[in-house]
Formats: sequence, structure tokens, C-alpha cells
Amino acid sequence: MTPRKPFLEALVAMLTPGDILVSCLGANARYLPHLTVPAPVFALCDSMGTAIPLALGMALQRPDRHVVALEGDGSLLMSPNVLATVAAACPPNLTTLLWVNGHYESSGGQPLPGAPVDWAGLARAAGVPHVEPVPDVAALRAAFPRARAAGAPALLVLAVAFNPDETIPPYSERPEEIRARFRV
Amino acid sequence: MDGARRIVAGLEAAGVTLAASVPDTWIGRLMQAVRGSAKIRAVDVAREEEAVAIACGASLAGGRGAVLIQNAGLLNCGGILAGLVELYRIPCFFIVSYRGDWRDPVYYHAPKGRVTEATLSAWRLPYAVADRAADLAAQVARGVTFAVESRGPFVLLISGEDLQ
Repeated sequence: MTPRKPFLEALVAMLTPGDILVSCLGANARYLPHLTVPAPVFALCDSMGTAIPLALGMALQRPDRHVVALEGDGSLLMSPNVLATVAAACPPNLTTLLWVNGHYESSGGQPLPGAPVDWAGLARAAGVPHVEPVPDVAALRAAFPRARAAGAPALLVLAVAFNPDETIPPYSERPEEIRARFRV
Repeated sequence: MDGARRIVAGLEAAGVTLAASVPDTWIGRLMQAVRGSAKIRAVDVAREEEAVAIACGASLAGGRGAVLIQNAGLLNCGGILAGLVELYRIPCFFIVSYRGDWRDPVYYHAPKGRVTEATLSAWRLPYAVADRAADLAAQVARGVTFAVESRGPFVLLISGEDLQ
């Protein structure tokens, strides 16, 4: 299975200044300040389950920008209702990347409840029009342009390796810094 | 003009561009009036925390978001108020149906009514109870302006009577 960082680096390389990136709390938010991201970034450090609806609000407000949301499987399991909300609002400019590693990585690597959730099936059943499983970086490089061009909400399900020994940098930006820098 | 339309006029006057909502009987009536607005995008959501995040997203992207929910839903929102609205200092204006206060005829709302203002105070949320005898549109616009200028939440509690 693919580690997190190559996925994140591949995604960032495909973003443009016209995009907006919204990250869930945890490893993605902690890695992002160490990458060169061409798009404005709003990174959460708390509030699980918030990345997708936050990105949805941005997408509805700014139809001229493509908004990319990064969400974890633990966060989405907390609030799967948002999939139906996204499907109902149906913005053509919202792509979600769901990072599935089966663990609450930020809080110490505890496993999620042990249900074999079919994330792609769940999203499709909720009405998300464009859903693709993404097993590796090559697949992400192929799937992300398709998602961007789908003309409808898209969700890519990334199978991410969980490595309890991964050295993830700590949060390096305060919320007020993230908020102040975020201009779209 | 009925109270619901006066509230919408206040939202429009304050520059609100998006209203995210989970309905109850009263908020549902208000959202019907919102849907008649050419200036406000009505967004139907499944749970109240989503409404908060969507409204905040609209505000961060250059618009003004509002949240229209019942007080039961507001009680769900403690985490996101702390972890998003307050932490990142995002304007977020709420219109909340005040179920269970002395004006509400439905008995099963009473427990929510008893804790609503106490919870708002405990969470240190600025709020007001709408006064239908005064200018409702102006109360709404003042609340939105307070949220924008304070870069935080403001809650306006309404009753079903206020929509008449």
C-alpha cells in the first residue's frame, strides 16, 4: 500500500493557483506547510469531519475555483451524512480525496471501529456522482484530472498505508496564521 | 410583509450570500422565504455541524454565510464552534428557533428550552432574543454585522410568532 506522503506530493504537483485546498486535521495538515502548494490552503487542526462541508461552502461561494478537500476515514465515519449533502448541493467544482488507512492516526494510531466499510460504495449510495478508488500514486495522477473534469462532485478513495513509526512533522502554523494567509 | 420575509430582508441587507439549514417547523417556514431570495443561496444539509462549516466556508471564500437551525441542533455544535469558528475566528451568524420557551406550545421541546440560554452563556456565545415588536430586519442585520466585526459567532433566537 502507498504511504501518505507520495500521495500528498503527487496531489500538490497537480494543483494550480486557481484551486483551493482544504485539509482535515492530522498528518496532511502537518505535512502541507513543508510542501510548495500553488493553491491557497486552509488546514484544520481540530474539528473532525469539517473539511468536506467547509470545502463545500467555498465551492458554492466561488464557482470559478476548483476546491479540493482532504478528509480522513475516521472523520468521515463521524459524519457520513455530508456525502448526501454534497450530492444534493451538487457543485461541479468540488473534489474530495478520502484518505483511508483504518486508523485515527493523529490521536495515537487507534484503529477505527472494525467494520469493513465500502467507502466508494457508501459515497455512490449517497449520490456522489463521480467516485473512484485510487490504489497508488499512478492511479491518483490519472484519476485527479478526471475528477476535476467530471463537472460534478467527485470523491477519490485513496488506500493509504498506516505506519505507526512514520515521523510526521508537528503542526507548524497557528490557526490565526492559516486564517490570515488564506485569501481567495 | 410577514416576519419571515422581514428576517430575509435583514439577511439580504447585511450581505448574506448563503444560508445553510436543517429545518424544524419554524426554520422550515423561514427557509421557504429564503428560497424566494435572489441574493441568498439556500443549502439544505443533513446535520447542523455541516451547516456551520458550509457557512464558514462561504465566508472564508469571500461571501457571508448564515446558519438556520433549531436549538436542538445548536446544542450539537459545541465542538465545531470551539474547533472552527472560535479557533479560526470566522464570522458565523445563526438564526436559531427557540423551541421550548414559554411561547412554544409543544411540550416535548421544554427540556431544550430550559437549557438554551444557559448553554449559550456557558459557551460564551453572544446572542439576542428577537423582539417582534421592533424592527426584525434591523435585528438580523445587526447580528450579522456583529459576527463580521467580531470575527466570531452571533446567535439570534427566534420564535414561531416572529415569523408571522
